[in-house]
Amino acid sequence: MNPIQPELASQLITLLAAGMLVIQLLMVVQAMLLTNIRLFAIQSLLLAGIAAVMAYNHNASHVYMIAVLTIIGKVIFLPWLLNRLVQRIQIHQEIEPLLNAPTSMLICGGLTLLGYVVARPFTSLDRLGNNTLAIALTLLLTGFFLMINRRKALTQVLALLTVENGVMLAAVALTSYGMPMVVELGIFFDVLVAVMVLGILVYRIRENFDSMDTSKLNQLKG
Amino acid sequence: MLTPILIVPVLASLLCLVVRPPRVMAALGVLAFSATLGLGIVLVQQVLARGVVTEWHEFLCADALSAWMVLLISVVSLATSIYAGGYFRREVAAGAITPGRVREFFVLTPLFGAGMFLVVLANNLGVMWAALEGTALSSVLLVALYNRRNSLEAAWKYVILGSLGLALALMGTVLVYAAASKNNPQSLPSFNWSYLMSVAGQLDPHLLKLAFVFAFIGYGTKAGLAPMHTWLPDAHSEAPSPTSAMLSGVSLKIALYALLRFHILTTACLDSGFSRYFLLGFGLFSMFLAAPFILVQRNLKRMLAYSSLEHIGLICTGIAMNSPVTIFGALLHMGYHALTKPVLFFAAGNIHQTFHSLEFRVIGPGVVKVLPVTVLLMGLAALAAIGLPPFGLFLSELTVISGGLATHQTTVSVLILVALLASFCGILQQLTRILLGARKPGDRASDARRMDGVPAMAMLMGGLLLFSVWLPAPLLELLHRAAAIIGGAP
Repeated sequence: MNPIQPELASQLITLLAAGMLVIQLLMVVQAMLLTNIRLFAIQSLLLAGIAAVMAYNHNASHVYMIAVLTIIGKVIFLPWLLNRLVQRIQIHQEIEPLLNAPTSMLICGGLTLLGYVVARPFTSLDRLGNNTLAIALTLLLTGFFLMINRRKALTQVLALLTVENGVMLAAVALTSYGMPMVVELGIFFDVLVAVMVLGILVYRIRENFDSMDTSKLNQLKG
Repeated sequence: MLTPILIVPVLASLLCLVVRPPRVMAALGVLAFSATLGLGIVLVQQVLARGVVTEWHEFLCADALSAWMVLLISVVSLATSIYAGGYFRREVAAGAITPGRVREFFVLTPLFGAGMFLVVLANNLGVMWAALEGTALSSVLLVALYNRRNSLEAAWKYVILGSLGLALALMGTVLVYAAASKNNPQSLPSFNWSYLMSVAGQLDPHLLKLAFVFAFIGYGTKAGLAPMHTWLPDAHSEAPSPTSAMLSGVSLKIALYALLRFHILTTACLDSGFSRYFLLGFGLFSMFLAAPFILVQRNLKRMLAYSSLEHIGLICTGIAMNSPVTIFGALLHMGYHALTKPVLFFAAGNIHQTFHSLEFRVIGPGVVKVLPVTVLLMGLAALAAIGLPPFGLFLSELTVISGGLATHQTTVSVLILVALLASFCGILQQLTRILLGARKPGDRASDARRMDGVPAMAMLMGGLLLFSVWLPAPLLELLHRAAAIIGGAP
C-alpha cells in the first residue's frame, strides 16, 4: 500500500475536521430534533473519515477498526436508537433553546476563538492535521454550551455525544496510531451503554413528569 | 489473585439474574464480597512480599495503593450487601418498591463493585477511565431505583454531570497518551501506568499540564470536589440507603484514586507542585463549603452528603500537603471514613423506613425513643465522623494536622482545623436536635423495629473501634508504602 502524500493527508484531515466544526455550529442553530440527530450522524461519519485517512496514511490496521466501530456505533446504531426514542415518546416539537440563534452563534464564535488560543502552544507538533486539537477543544466547548442552552433531556444527550466526538477527534488526531485497541473498545461500549442508560432515564422522566423539559427537574436544592 | 477479585462480583451479578428468591440474591452479594475481602487480604500479603503484583501480561497491576483501595471497596460493599437484604425485604413488604427493582439492585451492585475493582487494578489509564465510566453508569440506575420524581431528577443530574466530567477526564487521558506517543512516534507506545512512570521525565510538560487540568476537573467532578459537587447531595439523598453508603463510602474515593494517579504522574514529570496546588485549593474549598451547608440542611441524608464532601476535602488537602505524615494520615482517613459513613447512611435508611421521611421536622426530636439501638450506633458513628476520640478519624485528622505543622505549613493546618471545627459544631447541633429529647406530644407510637440492620452497622462500628486502637503491622506497612507511592517514590 502506497501512503498518500503527507501534505494531502494533512489537508484532508483538516478539511474533515473543519466539516465537523461546521456541523457542530449547525446543530447550535438548528431547532428540529430529528435534524439534529441526523447532523450528529454526519459529524460522526466525518470523524470516521478522519480515522480512515489516518489509518491509510500510517498503514495501521487497528485504526481502521476505530473507523468501522464509529460508523457502526455512532453513524448507524445511536441515531437509530435516538430516533426510536423520539418516536416512542412522541415529541416532534422544536427544541427550545434558552438563547436565540444569533446570540448562540456569536457565543460559539467566541468559544472557537478560545479553543484556538488554548491549542496554540501545541500546534507546532510535528504530526498530521496538527491543528485539529483546536477543533477538538472547540467541539468540547460548544458541546458544553449546547448542553446549557438546551432544555430537553434528549438534546442534552446529543450535546454529550458531540462532546464525546470532540474527545475522539483529539484521540485520533493527536496520537499517530490512535489509542490501544482495548481502550478504544472500552470507550466504544461505554458510550453505547451510556446512551442506553440515558434513554431509560429520558423515558422514565417523560413518564413521571409528562415532559422532557429538564428545567422542571428543580426540586432538589442546597 | 487479581483476576478472581474481578470475576467473583461479576459472577454474583450474573447469578442474581437467574435466581428468584431475594434472600438468595442478598446472600450471593454477601458471599461475593466476603470472598473479595479474603482475596484482598491475600493480595495485601503478596504486595508486601513482592512490591507489585501483575497479571495478564501486566494488564492488571496492583501496588500498595491499589491493594488498600481493594480492601476499602470490599469492606463497604460487604456491609452494604449485609444491610441491603433486610432493607429491601422491609421495603417490599411496605410496598415502597417492586420485587423487579430489588433484583435490579442486586444485579447492579456487584457490577458497581466490580467496576471499582477494575479502576484500581487496571494498569492502563484508558481502561481505568472506561471502568470508572462503568461504575458511573451502574450507579446511575441504582440512584434512580425508586423511580420517584426526586430520584429521577437526582439521577439525571448525576449522569449528566458525571458524563461531562468523565468526557473531560477522557480528554486528559488522551492528552497523556499524546504526550507518550510524541515521545515515541515510530510505534504504538504502551499506555500502561508502569511504562508512563518510567518515562515520566521525558514527557512534554506543557501537554501534561493541560492533561492534568482536564483530568482534575473530570475526575474531580466524580470525586465530588467543590464546586463540581452539585450532583453529590442530590444523588446521595435520593438513592436507596445501601447505595448511598457505597457512593459515599468508596465511590468518591475511587474517583479520587484516579485523580491521584494523574497527580503522581504530573508531579513525576514536572518535578514541581503544579498538581499539588490544585488539590490543595479545591480540597480546602470543599471543606469550607461543606460546613455552612451542613448547618442549613433540613434533610438527614443531604447533611450526611455534605459531611462526605468535607471528608473528601480533608483527604485531598492532606495529600496536597505532600509530607509523608500528612499523606499517611489522609490514606488512613479514607479507611476510617469508609467504616464510619455507611453506618450513618444505614441508620438513615432505618429512620426513613420508620418515619417515611428524612426531613428533620418530621422525624425529630426524640428518635432515640423509637429506635434506640439505631440511634445508639448512629450517635457513635456521628461522634466518630466529627472527629472525637477514641475513634480513628480523630487520630487521622490529628496526623494530618500535626504533619502539616511539622513541615511548617501552619496556615493550611489552621485552616483545616477551622473547617473541621465548623462542621463539628454543625453536625453535633443538627443531630442532637433530632435524635435526643422527647417525642412530640400526640405522636403515634411507631412500630419500633429495634434490631433492623444492626448486624451490618455493628460490624462496621466494631471494625472502626478495633482499628482505632490497633493497626496490624502489615496494614501499617501497606499504608506507608502507599503513601510513598503518592509522595513520589519509584
